Amino acid sequence: MATRVERILKGARAKGQKTLSEYESKLVLAAYGVPISREVLVSTQSEAKAAAKKVKYPVVLKGCSADEAHKTEKGLIAVNLGSQAALVEAFKTISKRAGKNYDGAFLVQEMVSGSREIMIGMHRDASFGPAVMFGLGGIFTEILEDVTFRVAPLRKKDARDMLRSIRGHKILGAVRGMPAADLDILCHALMAVGQVALDHPEIEEIDINPLIIRGSKAVAVDALIVLSDSEADGTSS
Amino acid sequence: MADVMEKFFEPKSVCVIGASSTPGKPGNVVVKNMRDAGYKGDVYLVNPRGGEIEGYKVYKSIDELPDNIDQAVVTLPASLAPETVRALGAKGTKAIVLAASGFSEVDHVGEALQDELIAAIRESGARVLGPNTTGHVSVPSSYTSSFFPLGDIPRGSVSYITQTGNFCGISLRHIMSAENYGIARSCGLGNKADLDECDLLEYYGYDDQTKSIFMYLESIKNPKRFLRVARRVSQKKPVFLLKGGASDAGAAAAVAHTGSLAADGRVVDGAIEQAGVTRLRKYSHLFQVAKALDTQSLPRGNRVSFLSPSGAFTVCLTDICRSLNLEVPDLEDKTCERLQEFAPPFIRMRNPVDIFGSVGLVGYEKAYGDALDAVLADRNIDAVVVIMMLTTETGIPKMDFIVDLSKKYPSKPVYVTFMGEHQHNVAAKEYLEPKGIPCYMLVEEPFEVLSLLASCRKNMPVR
Repeated sequence: MATRVERILKGARAKGQKTLSEYESKLVLAAYGVPISREVLVSTQSEAKAAAKKVKYPVVLKGCSADEAHKTEKGLIAVNLGSQAALVEAFKTISKRAGKNYDGAFLVQEMVSGSREIMIGMHRDASFGPAVMFGLGGIFTEILEDVTFRVAPLRKKDARDMLRSIRGHKILGAVRGMPAADLDILCHALMAVGQVALDHPEIEEIDINPLIIRGSKAVAVDALIVLSDSEADGTSS
Repeated sequence: MADVMEKFFEPKSVCVIGASSTPGKPGNVVVKNMRDAGYKGDVYLVNPRGGEIEGYKVYKSIDELPDNIDQAVVTLPASLAPETVRALGAKGTKAIVLAASGFSEVDHVGEALQDELIAAIRESGARVLGPNTTGHVSVPSSYTSSFFPLGDIPRGSVSYITQTGNFCGISLRHIMSAENYGIARSCGLGNKADLDECDLLEYYGYDDQTKSIFMYLESIKNPKRFLRVARRVSQKKPVFLLKGGASDAGAAAAVAHTGSLAADGRVVDGAIEQAGVTRLRKYSHLFQVAKALDTQSLPRGNRVSFLSPSGAFTVCLTDICRSLNLEVPDLEDKTCERLQEFAPPFIRMRNPVDIFGSVGLVGYEKAYGDALDAVLADRNIDAVVVIMMLTTETGIPKMDFIVDLSKKYPSKPVYVTFMGEHQHNVAAKEYLEPKGIPCYMLVEEPFEVLSLLASCRKNMPVR
């Protein structure tokens, strides 16, 4: 696990990346047991078609490069593509929007549906060191700022407390005909994010946003890992 | 470390460096304070002029003092602090209180001086409280290093750690004059050049004179250690914190959202939560909650009953309980039946207990007393608030029944609050509090206290 993550981080650093791509970010998180969406990284349209068959329609197509931290704003995401024709159309549009000089790849991803979006993050606090965040995700992250932090390493109790401490905690319950969210999965993900930060001081920040609760189980649908400017930066006493 | 903290809080001998014969000067007030507190240890004074101050012999220099005096209180100007610390260290003194201001809290020159002081502390082998501190108080040892006139401080089980001199100064005077609870230890941290909140918290954690700990902090010097120490101590004793001042803003230029959301003190908030420390939001709660814990136990939970002489209180205080995460649960059937026995038939007795009709029927003491006994015995109830109605016309009852019933149910806190004539309320508080019943002048206050105690209880292991 550690070596695989090390390899991703080393590779990114060698290429001078300031962030990991979505794909790389999720590989790191998945290595620590954070559940992520099924996805395949492709560079051509025909690879995309093959990947979509494997992932199964409907799919999501995203531009995927280390430079594109905010894909939505740039229109590099097409969701709920139900057929090959729709996929091909989206591939063309996204390629065009990305521009001629785009050297990134594309991500063909399963369409994770669920109306509850939450977020997990990590920020390196100057005093306390790595702090894990939990809160409402998607567009509500910035609108409501309903988030809570705990300092890593997290005990199970800390993770449980986090899930209860946001104002909108009832979103995790059995609401509007939806089943209660599996809290163990979320606790594990919170603890895992803290561990990633402790193990890898060169990681400056982490956003997993959104995690979509599909049925009762949270799945990371987008993620961003930001690297520190220099390797020494991340280590705090 | 334990030994040196004992030299601060249970010194057998003390020297005052910069002792003065001029009334009102810190070097004079400190000496009087020690005497007024009834300190029994040896007191040595140092002033180059020699002679005698407040009946004590004055030594002309530190060199003339005997070796290994437990503690030194230094009231000299800031610039003399480094050399004084070195000289005291050389004489074997291990605990030093530095009163002077004029260090990092002032300017760059002060910062440089504080750096020099820190170097001197390291060389000296002594531990230092301050600089820029009013000092500290240790009531079980009848000792204080404060240069704020204090007199005889009542002894209790509450201890303070504060990043202000107030709790060895004006706030302590408030406690001594307006309240009737006692304290064990109190410490103004000053600039925290050496000792910080963690050292004190650790000491209070195993100090058997301290049963509950109250902190006022504006910064946390060693956040990771604080988290570790507070986590441990808060498992054994109630620990409360009022955190003053906006915390450092998060990384403004964060690439990820998490960074920008880590602002407004959210990380500190989370860490305090994680540490099992109960957060206070009001300065007055540093007294109100402390008072509740000095004489009464921590409630087992958040289930409250209250006796009310007014229908309005039963309604609006129930609302307030809800907003404070306190439950006002149904009483056991047998409790309701017992309450009904001495109530007019047209009032259905339940929680909260509307006591007015019963008072008219059987008299004040019997109505309040039997009702209090009944709700305290109820298994659904963790704590009871008695709202007294005191006016000249309705009569002032004897209040010993509250004291007696509180003793009968030691695990369930009983607090009293009032509505009526102020003079009677004040007199009742002055009567009840020294007997161990915390009284609150405003009707919401006991509920705010119970709410904080209930969340504190949740942080602690079940016993």
